[in-house]
Amino acid sequence: MSNSPLKRHPLRSASTFKHMSRRTRVGLVAGLGLLVAGCAEDAAQDTWDPAGPNAQDIHNLQWPVFLIAGVVGVIVLTFVAIIIVKFRDRGQAIPEQTHGKPALEIGLTILPALILIGVAIPTVGTIMALNETDDTECIINVTGQQWWWEIDYAQQDGCGGIAEPIVTSGQMIIPIDTPVLVRGTSRDVIHSWWIPRLNGKKDMVPGRVHAVRLQADEPGIYAGQCTEFCGLSHANMRMEVVALTPEDFETWKAQQLAPYESPAAGTLAATGEATFIAQCSRCHQVNGLEDAAGELVISRPDLQVYSGAAPNLTTLMTRNTFAGASWDLLTDECRADVWESDPDTFGEKYLAGVSAECLNSVQLREWLRNAPAMKPMYADPAQLDETDGLVRGMPNLALSEDQIDELVAYLLERK
Amino acid sequence: MSDTTVEPSATPEPDVVVPAGYDDGQDHIGLPHHTTTGLSNTKLAMWLFLGSECLLFGGLISTYMLYRNRQGDAIGPDQLWDIPFTSATSFILLMSSLTMVLAVSAAKRKDERGTRLWLTVTALLGGLFLAGQVYEFTVFYREGLGYTTSLFSSSFYTLTGFHGVHVAVGIIMLLSLVGMLAKGRILGDKAETVEMVGLYWHFVDVVWIVIFTLVYLIPA
Amino acid sequence: MAIIERPTETPALAGAGGAVVTPSSSYGYFRRPVQTTGWKSWAFTVDHKKIGIMYGVVAMLFFFVGGFEALLIRAQLAQADGTILSADKYNQMFTMHATTMVFLFVMPLASAFANYMMPLQIGARDVAFPRLNALSLWTFVFGGIFINTSWILGGAADGGWFMYAPNSSVPFSPTHGVDFWVLGLLMTGIASQVGAVNLIVTALNMRAPGMTLMKMPIFTWMALVVQFLLLFAIPVITVALFLLLFQRNFDATFFSVADGADPLLWQHLFWLFGHPEVYIIVLPAFGIISEVLPTFSRKPLFGYPFVVFSGAAIGLVGFGVWAHHMFAAGLGPISVAVFSVATMAIAVPTGVKIINWTLTMWGGKLWFSTAMLFAIGLIVQFTIGGLSGVTHAVAPSDTQQTDTYYIVAHFHYVIFGGGVLGLFAGIYYWWPKVFGKMLNEKWGRWNFWLMIIGMNLTFGPMHIIGLQGQPRRMYVWTENRAGEGFFNLGFWNLVSSIGSLVLGIGAVLFLVNVWVSRKNPPAPADPWDARSLEWITTSPPKEHNFDRIPTVHALDEFFHRKYEDVGVDGQHDYKKVRTGEEIIAMEEANAESHIHMPSPSYWPIILAFGMLIIAYGVIYSVLMLAAGAAIAVLALFGWALEPPTADDSEFDPPSSDGGQPSKELAHV
Repeated sequence: MSNSPLKRHPLRSASTFKHMSRRTRVGLVAGLGLLVAGCAEDAAQDTWDPAGPNAQDIHNLQWPVFLIAGVVGVIVLTFVAIIIVKFRDRGQAIPEQTHGKPALEIGLTILPALILIGVAIPTVGTIMALNETDDTECIINVTGQQWWWEIDYAQQDGCGGIAEPIVTSGQMIIPIDTPVLVRGTSRDVIHSWWIPRLNGKKDMVPGRVHAVRLQADEPGIYAGQCTEFCGLSHANMRMEVVALTPEDFETWKAQQLAPYESPAAGTLAATGEATFIAQCSRCHQVNGLEDAAGELVISRPDLQVYSGAAPNLTTLMTRNTFAGASWDLLTDECRADVWESDPDTFGEKYLAGVSAECLNSVQLREWLRNAPAMKPMYADPAQLDETDGLVRGMPNLALSEDQIDELVAYLLERK
Repeated sequence: MSDTTVEPSATPEPDVVVPAGYDDGQDHIGLPHHTTTGLSNTKLAMWLFLGSECLLFGGLISTYMLYRNRQGDAIGPDQLWDIPFTSATSFILLMSSLTMVLAVSAAKRKDERGTRLWLTVTALLGGLFLAGQVYEFTVFYREGLGYTTSLFSSSFYTLTGFHGVHVAVGIIMLLSLVGMLAKGRILGDKAETVEMVGLYWHFVDVVWIVIFTLVYLIPA
Repeated sequence: MAIIERPTETPALAGAGGAVVTPSSSYGYFRRPVQTTGWKSWAFTVDHKKIGIMYGVVAMLFFFVGGFEALLIRAQLAQADGTILSADKYNQMFTMHATTMVFLFVMPLASAFANYMMPLQIGARDVAFPRLNALSLWTFVFGGIFINTSWILGGAADGGWFMYAPNSSVPFSPTHGVDFWVLGLLMTGIASQVGAVNLIVTALNMRAPGMTLMKMPIFTWMALVVQFLLLFAIPVITVALFLLLFQRNFDATFFSVADGADPLLWQHLFWLFGHPEVYIIVLPAFGIISEVLPTFSRKPLFGYPFVVFSGAAIGLVGFGVWAHHMFAAGLGPISVAVFSVATMAIAVPTGVKIINWTLTMWGGKLWFSTAMLFAIGLIVQFTIGGLSGVTHAVAPSDTQQTDTYYIVAHFHYVIFGGGVLGLFAGIYYWWPKVFGKMLNEKWGRWNFWLMIIGMNLTFGPMHIIGLQGQPRRMYVWTENRAGEGFFNLGFWNLVSSIGSLVLGIGAVLFLVNVWVSRKNPPAPADPWDARSLEWITTSPPKEHNFDRIPTVHALDEFFHRKYEDVGVDGQHDYKKVRTGEEIIAMEEANAESHIHMPSPSYWPIILAFGMLIIAYGVIYSVLMLAAGAAIAVLALFGWALEPPTADDSEFDPPSSDGGQPSKELAHV
């Protein structure tokens, strides 16, 4: 993970060669020195690597525009180069003091206008197509908050039927080949929802509901990130869309709605449950969790957190990232195994969740030890006058190492 | 105002052959208020300033129009407006435009008494309007419309407050003119200063007519 | 010779209590400042040339401040999980980098050129309102200092230069940084607004005889368009800033979503200002290179009317495309489509300019001076920035590109490539005019090439980084999303950071050049064989600019005075019939007498200072606010009662014509 960029070299692995050649083909067309073509193992948020029809629509529009822009650019720059060579001062006479040739200039004005009309027509068509909402088959709500995304599935017939609401955070699970409508808003400042390989971005604005379409062709994890500057930890507000086959999606839904099981008595995790209730449950909900008196534990993050919510941890270990999808719950090896698996085996690996062997306990512990040190959140009480003492993000809870051990054991069973 | 004072040079012409037409620089002698457009600099500047003021009030009015119905459970325009009263103060402000015209014409006629009278009356009418606005704000406040009560109240007070400040600045300018009158610096040829203040004053009036119509007369 | 009457040298301060009563002090205890040397001759000057120089010096100072901020940003991003800056400091850094570069560097440097060159180019002795000009300068200077003092007073603004609501509200940005930002921008806004009125009146009203609008030098034209943009754009941002100020300090609710506010109001107001702002930044540079290219190609600007009208068209359409900054903000598809097409439309007049510049060089006799290199650099770099602009005029692709480094790359090619390079061309071109000395051409070349290489290394890779999905305004990027191929984020971020160092060194070479050129011999009167009016006077120009106001007969007046076409039968053969020196000597020999220049004044700087105290007062204490207001009111009254030129009796000896000011002066 931490190898220096300079040590890398652009040799492509055999497994990516097929992928590569397709990109090269597009690249050659779009090419002409354009720097974006033909890459192996692109960054996770590559905007030139569509993985669904919406992103593909955009891509079909953008590569010809890049091509035209590239060609025009080369023509202009070549022209300038020719002029520089041809008309340098070699002692020639003062040139004719011509003030212009109106016909030529009108022509050279109309030409770019025509090109742009040619670009404008498909642009308008694509804008309209991407704003269609009535053909979607699954509605998922997202709510931005400093600095994580809450994702919830309301009861609906869509998405293959959702019987009870599902609430999760950081990772949105969608069935492949299904047009999904994401409806989003925000609880505090403006955030922006962006999964580059599936569609363009859409700002999620407090007090408004904005919609964006998503659809993935193949199972896999599609990385995204909040792209509207949203304050201190904007860089640590990430998210992922996880696409599963419809069958795996059903399995996932069942996982999410499975009844709560307390840890076996006497285990470390059982102590952890008590610690969780004492330390965490004021903000973090675990559905079905009961206290010693047998009362359901209902979290009230609105009494603690300025923006009003905290991630629901009922099924934390079915996701594989935490804290605004900024850190992995999986060790590097296990992460690579899941993220880079081929589409056929991906669903199985993802649904297995986080096992004890695969748990990235170093970062999870660091987080429990002092969250604001990892992710800046104005959690310093001295800066909270303006929010009447409500925290913004997770504060440092000053847990003991023992408590952290217990909590890790407890959380590991949340799946 | 500014007279041209370019005098023909006493120096003999140099030996260099001056191309025809290149040696004038004198043909504009004696034209009073010579500017390229013929409009005096101050007048042009005032028009430009008022042009940009349109955008300022445009922004404030747009903000108000966006938020005019957003008072939540708090008190709204329907419970507050006292149209007859505001119409009366608006009428007063309108009348002040008339007296301003009279002041300008008096200043141009070098009628010191008339200028003083009409400038003072204009300032008084403006003051009356402002007093009406202060009274109106007090009433609204007592009825429960604080500055921070709702979006409607914030944008209402901001818009009308900005206008009120403009009226106040106008009154200060009018009183300054009355002061300058004693030194005879704004009469006759120099009446343009009065005219400038007049332009500003009329603009502030016109803006009020727009505000009055949009804020008070058109039902929310 | 021209006779400049000026007030006699007397101590600036007369005794209090009316001990010394002279005609000009009868309104108060102050006499006018009369120093012609020392700091007072600068602080109280109303001379557009001194004001222009001060604008330029302060702007360059802020250029290096903003550049230093940029270097810190790039140092932080050179590697994954950078630790040089904390998240908080990083957010302040990019906010202030943009604010500084836009409001405190590019705009004032453009003002410097407009101030200095516009009166010279139109054959005027000063601007229409010299004291207002001084007010603009000092309000800008104090505003710039004010914003930057926030660094040591609890932290700078941290909401980005676009300061989107509601992230700019107190709970999300509890320090005073945003208040400093708002008040500082209100001050620089006043400076721009006042300057706009002043320069528009100057350009429209004070042209030399014979200079019709279509004979006006192209830089003056572009500066004029810019002033109109400022005139109508600044009030819009002023409204937005006031709303934010009231929101933060008086608990108004304009951006409180809980009360039903719409956060998009801020975006509309901001971008309705913010997009014309882009043209406010680049058009002066376009004007400059439209002067530089003809001079060094020995040809008139190709299609002057087209360049003028396309400039005006850009200005006009520039007000109708603001929502293209909001394609992802959730506007309806119809709005998006309309603004998308309007944005493409604005590419046409922009393209016209590039075509005209290249055709100006076509068939010319090119002299690659440093100024010319910068001008050609602008054409090349701005073409790239303009074309990448077309790629996100296409709204759907913009939703992939906006808020990524691709946009950062784009607007740096536009603003640095299209704006800053042009301003540097202007610096090299007009340096001998302003200071009477040439800048060193060898160092100039180093300056140019390092800046060009540096900017392409810095901003070029940002295209890749952005299309690979790295968003802007992130204080860290992470290795596990960086990719591994040729386009991996790690390598290109590092290249960009190294590039920023090269660019920084290139910029510093400019200072080196100024240093090594300080003892250069006096420059020739017409070092570039130039074409326009500002060269028909000595370098640096005398206080009154022209010994005789030139009468204009042609667009390139100076060229046509120097050259005559002696060709026959449709053949052209331009012969230099007299040199620039001879023409200037001729003007001196025919000098007008009794030129009255406006006298210096204390009040502009005092008024600006009053505003500064008011601004601190808004943040810290009502008492301070009242003190500032008192200073401002005092200054206003002093100003109103002070005649623009000193009274006759202050001249020594009294002038013979009754002390009437010459035609260029106005009573403000």
